[in-house]
Amino acid sequence: MIMAIDLTLIYRVLVFPGFVFIFVLTMVCDWISRKIRAHMENRMGPMYTGYHGILQPWADFIKLLAKESTSPKATNKTIFKLMPLLSFTMIMVAMFFMPIDGSNVIPGSAFSGDLILVLMLVTIANFFLFLAGWSSNNPYSKLGGSRVLIQVLGYDIPFFLLALTPVFLAGGVDPTTKILVLSFTSIVQGQQSIWFVLLIPWSFILFIIAMQAELEKDPFDVPDAETEIVGGLETEYNGASLAFLKLGKDVQVVLGAFIIVDLFLGGPGLAGGITATAGILDFSAFLFTIGFVLKVVAVVVIIQYVASLWARARIDQVLKWNWKYMMPLSIGAMVLSLLVAFFWNGLIHF
Amino acid sequence: MAKSSLVNWSRMKSPWILHFNSGACNGCDIEVVALLTPRYDVERFGIKLEPSPRHADVLITTGVVTTECADRLKRIYDQMPEPKFVVAIGACACSGGVFAGNYSVCGGVDKVVPVNAYIPGCPPKPEAMMDGVVKLLNSLKGPKTHGKRRGKDSSSPK
Amino acid sequence: MASVEEKIQVHLNDQLGGDAPQVQPIAKGKVFIQVEPSLLKGIVKGLIEKDELTGLIAITGVDLGDTIEVMHHLRTMETIFTIRTLVSKENPELETIIDLLPGANLHEKEVTDLMGVKFTGNLFDGHFLLSEAWPKDNFPLRKDAEIPSIDDLIKNPVVIDEPESIPGEEKYLNITIGPQHPALLEPERFQLHVEGEIVIGVTPRLGYVHRAVEKACESRTYMQDVYLVERICGICNACHVTTFCQSVENILGTEVPARGRYLRTIAAELNRIHSHMLLFGHAGLEIGFQTLFQYTWRDREAVMDLIEILTGNRVNMAYITLGGVRRDVTDTLKDRIRTDLAKLEQRMPFYKNLYENELSLRARLKGVGIISREDALKLCVVGPVARASGVKIDVRKDDPYAAYDEIPFNIVTYNDCDSLARLKIRVDEIYESIHIIDYALEHLPDGPIRVRVPRSVPAGEAVSRVEAPRGELFYYVKANGTQSPERVKVRTPTFANILSFVHMAKGINVADVPPAFVSLDPCFSCTDR
Repeated sequence: MIMAIDLTLIYRVLVFPGFVFIFVLTMVCDWISRKIRAHMENRMGPMYTGYHGILQPWADFIKLLAKESTSPKATNKTIFKLMPLLSFTMIMVAMFFMPIDGSNVIPGSAFSGDLILVLMLVTIANFFLFLAGWSSNNPYSKLGGSRVLIQVLGYDIPFFLLALTPVFLAGGVDPTTKILVLSFTSIVQGQQSIWFVLLIPWSFILFIIAMQAELEKDPFDVPDAETEIVGGLETEYNGASLAFLKLGKDVQVVLGAFIIVDLFLGGPGLAGGITATAGILDFSAFLFTIGFVLKVVAVVVIIQYVASLWARARIDQVLKWNWKYMMPLSIGAMVLSLLVAFFWNGLIHF
Repeated sequence: MAKSSLVNWSRMKSPWILHFNSGACNGCDIEVVALLTPRYDVERFGIKLEPSPRHADVLITTGVVTTECADRLKRIYDQMPEPKFVVAIGACACSGGVFAGNYSVCGGVDKVVPVNAYIPGCPPKPEAMMDGVVKLLNSLKGPKTHGKRRGKDSSSPK
Repeated sequence: MASVEEKIQVHLNDQLGGDAPQVQPIAKGKVFIQVEPSLLKGIVKGLIEKDELTGLIAITGVDLGDTIEVMHHLRTMETIFTIRTLVSKENPELETIIDLLPGANLHEKEVTDLMGVKFTGNLFDGHFLLSEAWPKDNFPLRKDAEIPSIDDLIKNPVVIDEPESIPGEEKYLNITIGPQHPALLEPERFQLHVEGEIVIGVTPRLGYVHRAVEKACESRTYMQDVYLVERICGICNACHVTTFCQSVENILGTEVPARGRYLRTIAAELNRIHSHMLLFGHAGLEIGFQTLFQYTWRDREAVMDLIEILTGNRVNMAYITLGGVRRDVTDTLKDRIRTDLAKLEQRMPFYKNLYENELSLRARLKGVGIISREDALKLCVVGPVARASGVKIDVRKDDPYAAYDEIPFNIVTYNDCDSLARLKIRVDEIYESIHIIDYALEHLPDGPIRVRVPRSVPAGEAVSRVEAPRGELFYYVKANGTQSPERVKVRTPTFANILSFVHMAKGINVADVPPAFVSLDPCFSCTDR
């Protein structure tokens, strides 16, 4: 019945594994990040908001929503208020194309090229952040916004290149166009026997570094450099817009973790691989989600751990490392992965 | 009723502070920064140090208000969105301390902005500061929160 | 072996012949001369040629009624050499010495602003330390000054909406690192003139923390001044009190008992350790290394505990007073101090290794903010900033006070001249301080800790200096027989070092400004007093 399919779709998009699920997961991952960072610094982190501070991100969010909202006098208020929301929306939409509980949030929406679509949406979201900084009409925000764009656009190249390496291993050629299938679903399906991180570990490590740069975490924390540019692009924001800016940053981390899990760590399910279930109360779908969530949490822990270990680099050092080290290493990783792919997919036999 | 107590709860549990030194000798400032370090760790209460006045709920001022800084302090207070609180830390911020009466000193912080909490000491120990902040947060439990005025004329020093 | 006074007299006779003034020693190793204003610049030039380590310490102005006495205190030939000149109050003018010693720039501006003496060649509009709303031609340090009321001053604030450009160079972007900035713990305004990401120049505006301490000292008794002077700076408060007390004791001629001197040394060295650890935790914060900041300040708490059990307070010690110290140490206290410092010494190799070998710190700090040795000498910088540029000056060796002439220790210098050297040198100084405290505790002499001093101090004057954590701290005190001093002049180490920031910021990256700045260890409450 058309009505039944619509309800299922609405449930999947809005509640599970859609909006509400991702929202709650983001809050939990934010709490985990804060606790990891605090314990790395020999402190305790939030403790009294809920059990061991687990409700702290919720308190922050609600408090920001209840604050007075202002905007600078000499700007276009529509752009100023809209950019954080748009940035957040882009990332949420990107998440809908990733297999979470066995299949994508919108079932049957996997197509060849959704890998490129997700990575592009991340870049567009960062562009909206740049517009947010530019529309604040404040020199600190402009500096912060331009730094976001410089860094993210620079590291996009190794990011894309390294994201292609699991595609080689997954194989799968589209019969009509005769090119490789660039889809998260096919990559996850290709990991049914073994996780790709064990086959191409160099790619995994380089991808984590590129991900730190995309997420603006230390040592690539440049756009958020408090001591140089005050609040960066967030300086003039307050109230609900600030809530969505901060939420957008946290959701970006979760999206980054999703990408890493789907590309290298086997995707949904503890072992890897997926089935095509799309029902609401399917128990195996639930189990798959638990495996996925555990892996995402592990990746968030790794990202925050690496971020606590290093000082912040300078913007020209960040760019120098990109062109001098990341690019050649990414190309080398691609070549190595191609060789492994030939062996793995059985195209070369002894 | 339920909504306002939820909002109250979130304000109690997540106060973001901005630290401004308006003419202090640094004694109180290093104790304020020491609050973020492992021994005292105020992040347990949800307190975060924010760089920009627009993000903060609580303005923590240290030191007397010198004639140069009076205007700055007022501007920073006006830039903070409602609801906001001011905590004056140290004897100098409360009343001018040993410098009261000098030719370039206005006096305590309450000559320029309205103050919600005074924490005396020279400098107060970090435990005393935490005690003061917790008392301020607990005072939010009442039905009315301080500082619900809106609009430009949101300060009226006596 | 000729004494210092004889050497200086010989030099002056050689240079000036018949016009040479008589040298007046006022204490061991500190000499004054009185000359006509026209001879001043020639004498300074002669001294610079004779001794390359010559530097300006301070310029003091004293109101004598009809005339103003301007004193140039110079650090030369291992002594403090003061040149007195008198200018009339109606037309107070002197020649500037910034072409010989560029480091004299801010000193002259301060005397112009507060006392009204104009230095031809170093004139400026507006105010330097006083607020912009202060009326013109009103000099607060003069005895007959009319102080305007506070309400008048804050009623019409001078509001700056746009950052100011360098005149003639409007094409550069101007970024204000203003009174409220997360990089600064204290309010001061620095305007960076930037082209792209390179800094072309810096214009500082000081005076945001000016609390009129020097004027206030004149209306309080000596004992009240001890409390006031302690609160000039919370971080190096022990040093301010030590220097003030030493100056007053020099005028009175009292001798502090040996046990008191040793205890003063222990308090001063504990102060040095906690200040250095504060700094390199703060440096970590400036370059985005939160973890280093948290670890350093966690270890610093051990030192704060020791200060608390020794003196009763964590920050403002209230320990050193006129004539000695206020509390004694017991044997259990000595053992506690020694054990805790031994534990701290075990942690120090971790930090030393971090600053020598950690990649991200070296990437941010190495080669950033160079002050060459010649520039360090010409700008008259003091303290670890000078020692990191190869200039070996340290008041504890050059002019020993308290118990430093009886305790062996080393002075560390580096030749790298960059920010990393300025931070590494502080780690080394912590090692030295721990050894000094151990030695002092072992050899603590018996006896009283304090002698009583009279309330009224007979007429006289004295200069005294002390090695604060940031450098040389200098006081000049003039007494007039009453219970309050006639004039107290404070020259703090950051006041001498601020010009080096303006100089080293030319040509560096905008992102390098916070680390370069914090490696100087600026303390603006000291600068503005």
